[in-house]
This record gives sequence, structure tokens and C-alpha cells, in this order.
Amino acid sequence: MMFAAAILAVLAALILTVVRALKGPTVFDRLLAANSIGTGAILLLALFGFMTGRPEFLDIGLLYALLNVIGTLAVLKFFRYGSLGHGGEEETEA
Amino acid sequence: MVLLSLLAAVTIGIVRLRNLFAIVILSGIYSFLMASVMIVLDAVDVAMTEASVGAGISTVLMLGVLYLTKTEESAPVHSPALPLFVSAVTGAVLIYGTFGLPPFGMADTPVNTHIGPDYLAGSIPQTGIPNVVTSVLASYRGFDTLGETTVIFTAGIGVLLLLKRLRRAEPDK
Amino acid sequence: MSAGFFTDLLSWLLLVAGGFFFLVGAIGLNRMPDVFTRMHAVSVGDTLGAGLLVAGMALQAGPTLVTVKLFLILLVIWFTGPVATHALARAALQDKLLPLIANRSGKLVEGDPDKIALKDSSKPGKGRAQPSKR
Repeated sequence: MMFAAAILAVLAALILTVVRALKGPTVFDRLLAANSIGTGAILLLALFGFMTGRPEFLDIGLLYALLNVIGTLAVLKFFRYGSLGHGGEEETEA
Repeated sequence: MVLLSLLAAVTIGIVRLRNLFAIVILSGIYSFLMASVMIVLDAVDVAMTEASVGAGISTVLMLGVLYLTKTEESAPVHSPALPLFVSAVTGAVLIYGTFGLPPFGMADTPVNTHIGPDYLAGSIPQTGIPNVVTSVLASYRGFDTLGETTVIFTAGIGVLLLLKRLRRAEPDK
Repeated sequence: MSAGFFTDLLSWLLLVAGGFFFLVGAIGLNRMPDVFTRMHAVSVGDTLGAGLLVAGMALQAGPTLVTVKLFLILLVIWFTGPVATHALARAALQDKLLPLIANRSGKLVEGDPDKIALKDSSKPGKGRAQPSKR
């Protein structure tokens, strides 16, 4: 029951985040929303696993977390350097 | 389900937007939501594939493609009426087809009575693999999976070669 | 029995608080006026909200492998979230997107804090993007 409450909260947050992703004026707004949706999906996944009594879903949550950051950083790197291929040798930030 | 309506909303957003960057980001969001729906439907392996392919690889690949083209979608040349009609009819036929399916999770359907129990019962003694999905994929249908892997590997090599050649053709920034 | 009751109570509190903060972050994402303030709002949900939710779930799981995985997820979120946000801010500044700040009359304008302090009436946005110690 407590997990259901938390799931409701996370779902509501996801809806709001999708709203921002859909209407966000700049690309960065959408990207921020995408990042937040990734986190929300992970938490939703973990909470759902707990609610149904099978917490082994957490492995997938871990995978999501890693993929989420890969996607976000790929897009940002594209913005900074204009491509994905080179640019790794210029600076090693992000 | 809330997630499905979110999916629909994101899809409409993808269709309506013209900026391709935003579309790439929105399709990443779509993949995450889709994977969550898959989890809720108990299809864990599909969810994992959807997340890694949809949100991980294809985002990166689409960005690589975006580097080669411009970031704004050009205006459509043809009228969208005919494609809309075709896809609406196809969708209607598919939805009509789902009415013939047995209810979700019923025990006496062909899916659950034909060969599934054999796999479930024979998985451990015959192959020794604890996960049934894995044993079906890697043992009972091993050659099939080998073929699939070959296809995917070839496709990956092709995409890499394509991107690499086009990038070299362009003067280095 | 009382120990289980208190664990449940604490778990309830943590989960509700985590959900609350996550929701607040999402509301802030919709209410804030520009990218940088939205980033600020989202980071609340992504760190505090996720941390509280994970703590609540870990209390329910007890000292098992599940808890280890939970904290691994939390660790990944905590490390990558700020990194992604930082990269996002850098990219946004790079893209000549300046943070909104209030000028003398209290209106929000887009601009560089240094230049706004000198002349607050005109709107000096869209110029060179100078990442001034942010």
C-alpha cells in the first residue's frame, strides 16, 4: 500500500515531466525532462517491483540508470562539439 | 493505464514537431515509457531490449545521422491524407483482430497448452538453465538465435561503415 | 511486532516524503521560467526524492542483496544526475542561452549578470555567452 502511494506520486510527476518535454521551448528543456523521466522510470520500476513482491527488477533499473546517462551525455556532447566521433581528445569533461 | 496515455501524448508530440533534435530526445523518452509499460506487463526481457536499443543505441545512432543532415525537418511534399487513411485502416484491422484473442493470462489458451508446458517442465532437466526464456532462446532455438545475432552484427557493421565513410568524405569540420 | 511496526511507519514516511519531493521537482519543472531554474527544481526531485524513496524501499527489503542493488542504483543516480545537469548547463550556455535574472524593476530578463548591473533597462541578451562562474 505504501508503495502504491509512492507510485502514484511518481506517476503524477512523470505526467508533469512529459508535459514539459512536449511543450518545452528549447531543446535543453526537453533534455532535462528526458533525464528526469529516466530517473522517474527507474524509481517507478523499483517501486513496482516492490509492490508486486519481486524486487529482482532492480537489475533492470540499474541498466536504465546507466542508459539514461549515456543518452543524455551523447546528446550534450553532440551539442558541444557538433559530432560524436571526435571531440574526446579536446577536453575530457562530461 | 497512465503510461499508455503518456505514450500516446509523446507520439503526437513526435509527429507534430519539426525540430529533429527534439524528436530524438522525445523518442528516447518514448522508449523509457515503453520499457516501463513492458515491465508492468511482466515482459522483462523485452523491456530490457527496448531500453537498451531504443533509449541507448538508437539515440546515439540518430544523433550520428543528424550530424550528416540538417536539424529541421523539411515540409512534406505529398498530402498526408492517403498515408493517414492507410495507417488508420491498418490500425482498425489490428484492433479488430485483438477481439479474437483470448483474455490476457487465461490458462486454457493455445499459448499455454500447446508446447509451453513442455518447455517449462523440460527446461531444467534437459538444459540445466534456470531461466526458461534463456533456455528457449539459447538452447531450443539456438540456431535461430545464432542467425539473428549474425543479422544484427552485419547490420551494425554496415551502419558503422556507412557513417564512417560519409564522415570522412566531409572535410574535417 | 513493534519493531516491524516502526519499520513500516518509517518506511511510509520516507516513501511519502520521497514521492512528495519528486512531485515537487516535476511541478517546479513546469512552473519555473527558464532552463536554469528548471534544472534547479528537477535536481531536488532527482537527488532528495530518489534518495528518500530508495531509503524507504531499503527499509522494507532489509539487509539483503536487494538493498545493495538499491543503493547501487542510488549511487548511479546521484553521480550521473549532477554530471548530466552540469553538462546540460554548459551546453545551454554554449548555445547562447543566458539565465533569466531580475533587473532593477523586478522584471525577469534574459542576460548576463555583469552587464545587467550596469544598464538595467535595455535587454542585453543574445550577445556573447559568457559563462561567468556558474
